[in-house]
Parts: sequence; C-alpha cells; structure tokens
Amino acid sequence: MYEKHLMICGATGCLSSGSNLVEEALVEELEKHGIRDKYRLVMGGCPGFCEVGPIIVVYPDEVFYCRLKPKDMAELVEKHLLEGEIVERLLYKGPDVVVPARFYDTIPFYAKHKFNVLRTSGIIDPESIDEYIMRGGYRAFTRALSMEPLAICEEVKEAGLRGRGGAGFSTGLKWEFTNKAPGPKKYVVCNADEGDPGAFMDRSILEGDPHAILEGMLICGRAIGADEGYIYCRAEYPLAISRLKIAIRQAEEYGLLGKNILGYDFNFKMNIKEGAGAFVCGEETALLGSIEGKRGMPRPRPPFPAQSGLFGKPTTINNVETFANVPLIVKEGGVLEFAAIGTEGSKGTKVFALAGKVRNTGLCEVPMGITIREIIYDVGGGIKRGKEFKAVQAGGPSGGCIPAEQIDLPIDYDSLNKAGAIMGSGGLVVMDEGTCMVDLARYFLSFTQKESCGKCTPCREGTKRMLEILDRISEGAGVPEDLDTLDSLAASIKDSSLCGLGQTCPNPVLSTIRYFREEYEEHITDKFCRAGICKELFTYRIDQEKCTGCTACARVCPVDAIKGEKKEPHEIEQDLCTRCGSCVEKCRQDCILVVPQGREADVSN
Amino acid sequence: MKKFIDHCCEKCTHTKDNPCKDFVKCCIEGPVCHESSSCSARRKAIIDEVALNDQFIIC
Ligand SMILES: Cc1cc2nc3c(=O)[nH]c(=O)nc-3n(C[C@H](O)[C@H](O)[C@H](O)COP(=O)(O)O)c2cc1C
Repeated sequence: MYEKHLMICGATGCLSSGSNLVEEALVEELEKHGIRDKYRLVMGGCPGFCEVGPIIVVYPDEVFYCRLKPKDMAELVEKHLLEGEIVERLLYKGPDVVVPARFYDTIPFYAKHKFNVLRTSGIIDPESIDEYIMRGGYRAFTRALSMEPLAICEEVKEAGLRGRGGAGFSTGLKWEFTNKAPGPKKYVVCNADEGDPGAFMDRSILEGDPHAILEGMLICGRAIGADEGYIYCRAEYPLAISRLKIAIRQAEEYGLLGKNILGYDFNFKMNIKEGAGAFVCGEETALLGSIEGKRGMPRPRPPFPAQSGLFGKPTTINNVETFANVPLIVKEGGVLEFAAIGTEGSKGTKVFALAGKVRNTGLCEVPMGITIREIIYDVGGGIKRGKEFKAVQAGGPSGGCIPAEQIDLPIDYDSLNKAGAIMGSGGLVVMDEGTCMVDLARYFLSFTQKESCGKCTPCREGTKRMLEILDRISEGAGVPEDLDTLDSLAASIKDSSLCGLGQTCPNPVLSTIRYFREEYEEHITDKFCRAGICKELFTYRIDQEKCTGCTACARVCPVDAIKGEKKEPHEIEQDLCTRCGSCVEKCRQDCILVVPQGREADVSN
Repeated sequence: MKKFIDHCCEKCTHTKDNPCKDFVKCCIEGPVCHESSSCSARRKAIIDEVALNDQFIIC
C-alpha cells in the first residue's frame, strides 16, 4: 500500500511548462531518500489551471502545489513527505486569496466549476482501465446493453444533450435518425479534430479520461446499431492518440470491445484515424472524406451523415465532449441529474478554454447559463494588470465578439447566437482595452482564409477580398465605402458557401463592425488606431519628462532602435523602430507614447 | 489477482471470448456469482492500492 499518491499534471499544457522535469526531479529525490516505493506517482490528466502549472496534487492529504520547478522537489519530499508539514510557499497564492490556498475548494479559480466531463481527469491514471471502472466507468454502457436501442436515444433526448462541437444539435435526435436509417452497416465517428486556434478542451478530455470517450461511443453504437467506430484525431495530439491506443487495447483485453460484448449480441471495433491538422477537416463531411482517404473537402448536405455517411453508410458523428457526457446521462438516474444543471434550452456543463488577457488562463468546466462576468472575474480572476475588459471572442474563428456592455449575458447556445456569436467548441478569448478590434477581425479572417479548402468560390475568393479590405483599413488606406463592401461580401459568403466554414467565417468581422463600428471609422477617417496595434497608423515616442533612463526599453528592443545614456531620457530612432511593442510592455514608468496622425493615446499601462 | 480482468478463483470465467454480463459490476461489488470473502478481499486490494481517498469509488 502506498503512503501517498502524487498526481502530477501530465497533460500537454503542464508538460510544456516542464512537468516531466518536475517528475524526474521528484523521482530522483525519492530514490535519494530510499522511499520511492512508498509513493505512487501518476502523470495524470489536466486539472484545468494551466496558468499555475506544473501542478502536483497530494492525496489523501488534499494539497495542491503549483508553479513547481524541479528544484522545489527536495523541499517537497523532505518537508511534506518525510516530516508531514505542508510547504506553504508552493501553495496557490494570488490577489484573490488572503492566505495561501490549500486545495481545490479554497482556490477561487475552481469556485464556479462543476466537474462533469472532467470528473476523473487528474484523479485517475488515464492509462488504467481499472481506475476508470472504480470511478463508475462502463456501468452506463453495461446498462445500455440491456436497453432497447431507441430507449437509449430517448434518454439522451430527454436529458437535453446538445452537440458540443459547434452547432448544438440535439444528440439524441441525431442518434435516432441514424437508428432509423436502413442498412445493416453503420458507423460511429468521434470528431477529435479540434482545429480552433487556442482550443484544447477535447485534447484535455482525451488525455485525461480516454475511456470516457470509448464508453460514450460504445453507448452510441448500441443506440444506433453500429458495430464500428472511428476516432478522428489530429496527429498534433500525440499524447491523446497514445492514451487512446492504450485504452482501446485495454478495453479489448477486458472484453468491452470486440465480439459478443459482455455476452450480448453486440460487436464493436474501434479505429483511430490521425488527421493532418486542417481546420476544414473538423467539418463533418470533410472529416468523413478524410477517413475514406480522400482530400478533406466538405460535400453538400443532404444527404446528412445519418443517411449516408462514412463509406456511404448511416453514420453518427459527435464531438469528444458530447461523447464524454453520454455515460453521465445513460447511467442509472443520469437523465435527471444531467438535466438539473444548466438552462431551459442548454442543459449540462460546458468546458471552455479560457485564454487572452485574463489573470487565470486554463480549462474550466462550468454550468451552462453562467454569465460572461462570472467567467472573466470569478474563474478568470479579472483582467491582467488592472486593465479594462473590452470584449470576448466566443466560438473561435467562426464565432463572434461580445462587447463589455453585454458582460451579464448568460453563456448558452441561444443567448450567444442572439448576440452574434456561437458556442462553437468552447474557445473564449478575452480582450482588454489594448486590443484593436480591426486587427482582431483581421487575425481570425486570415486564419479562415488560409484554411478555406477552396471548393466554393464565395469562400475562396470572398474571404481573400475581405482580407484585402481589412489589411487596407489597418494600413490607413481604407475608404468609407469599405464597411458597406465588407457587409455585402460577408452576406454573400454566408449565403452561398457550402459548409460551415464559409457560412460562419465572416462572423468576427460582422460582430466587430456591429459593436465597434467607431473603431473602424477611426482607422478609415482619422487614420487612428486607439489601441496602438496597427503599425502603419502610429509611431512610438518616449516621454522625455517621464523617462528615468532605466534602460529597460533599450535592453529589450530587438533592433537596437532605442538610444540614450543611463539615467538620461532615451529616444527612439524612427527609421529603425519596427513598432513591435516590446518597449511598451517593459516600461515601468508608462512613458512610451503612441503618436498617431493628429491624436495621441497612451497605451503604456 | 492484480487487475480486474484476472480471475479471483476458478469460479470466475470472464474472458473476452467467454464474457460475463456482470463483469463491470463484479469488479467493484463482486464476486457476484458466488460468495467468498477472500475473493472480495482480492478486489478490495486492487482498489485500496490506488484509491486516493474514501470517496474514490463510485458504484
Ligand atoms: C470548419 C468547421 C470546423 C469544425 N471543426 C470541428 C471540430 O474540430 N470538432 C468538432 O467536434 N466539430 C467541428 N465542427 C462541427 C462538425 O461539423 C459537426 O457539427 C460536429 O462534429 C458534430 O458533433 P456534435 O453534434 O457532437 O457537436 C466543425 C465545423 C466546421 C464548419
């Protein structure tokens, strides 16, 4: 028996901030003291709070250590493991806590969380089927095996589960369509393409709890009458793929995949298909084409995949998070439990990848209907460096921007749609006063323009023309008619594109024009970028009165454009300056000014 | 018995080729098909090894 369990975040986020090095140092320390065998070390799933990684949670003591470095391991072993004393300096500290917080229940980031989909992530060893079973795993599937297939569809419908991959279609209804489609061969497909920039919800679920996806897919297979499944996962997620392969092998060994599963007349074979990482391959018909070995290009619907999907057979395709919710619904008493969370039209929880200008970035799972304010200020801990909240981009490049005036908007499918955004897969990028909305629209459109597969002329050519206009506006060469042209191009791209990429890609442009029209007009008429982002519209100047000659700006300037003696005011050589903004970030005296044509704005704080 | 798939005694016959309907329930609550305190202790030992605390098990 182990004395303690040390759950180390072994998800991609913490690995990139060095959790593997922390683990190595921990092993070394334990071996040095000859106590390696007394402690269980698990590289587990993501506990969400990426901002403070690497993280180790010690059980049964319930102590959450964060921001760990390999050199901290000696103290952790000597003080905590050997002497039983908590290492206070490694606990969570921040402006939102009075005293260092010891565990999830006292860390404000987690106060609004409701762990459903992430129920076992960070708690079990994702490479152990036994631990998944201990946490209630495969019970819902066992129950589903004894149910009539249409009764399973009915329960999923009754629970109100809507697809977490984008459009929010009723999952139970989708299953029912495939169930009723004629034919002996049907497929279940899991969409793990996750192409939205900045999104990592699905990756975290796959890395932390791969058996939950297998169980959700097996239940779906039983409900629609399929005997084969594919998980389409981008090759850029090697850890997720390796954990899925282990999970499939274990489920086969345990007789939970294969023939006559648990003695029922039900067979299921699971396959993994690695995608090459094109955004459009997340679109369901393009994804199915890619699995078939064709170029990933959307095709017209109808026929919908439920009638004619993979290899022309009836197919249900759902998102990773959708499948992860299914065992919670189909377990005994699950429908009522699931439907008790959320709003009238959007039941359950949603996992969001919170990024941008908030203090606490990371993964959060919250009840549907939570407001933007709660996410930004309670979960996210507010805006970094005390700046003003300006807007949030919801739904990735297909989504829209919601302004600060709508901070009390509940986050559910219908409210977001009304506001001109979408739930999408759950990316939330928070912006502060230093974000230029023209630049933001240009960034997202340049992404979708590059990712357009080129099949439809309006999407292929229209996004290029829209991007040219946005480039022109941000370079100070816009003309007043540009806004109408953007509007009409956006309308025709949305109306005439074949797939969701074209139908939604103008959203960031339209929503920023809708809520921040005056910023576009300033760029066009006054040649002014109030955020000091559009490089052609301003120069930087150092305030000679304020500058103390600390040299911080000169040291950080990548092109040596800042000159001056120590303790004397510095100056910027305009011919050399590339307006990268590094000096603005570094200056503690707030003395770097943005000098636009005709107007002045201080963006240094 | 190191893993749930291992047999607790000769009375357990679950394999992928000879499956038992009660297998999943049996992992935690078993043995289901016979009475044996030593067989249930074998299962408990697997759980005790990895359970983080006493709320770890969900039936
Ligand atoms: C351009 C584009 C990219 C998409 N990318 C994804 C994706 O990465 N993951 C996903 O689940 N759905 C994605 N979708 C939505 C899928 O087409 C499909 O609606 C979804 O997988 C259905 O699953 P759900 O009902 O569980 O949401 C994308 C759609 C479009 C138009």
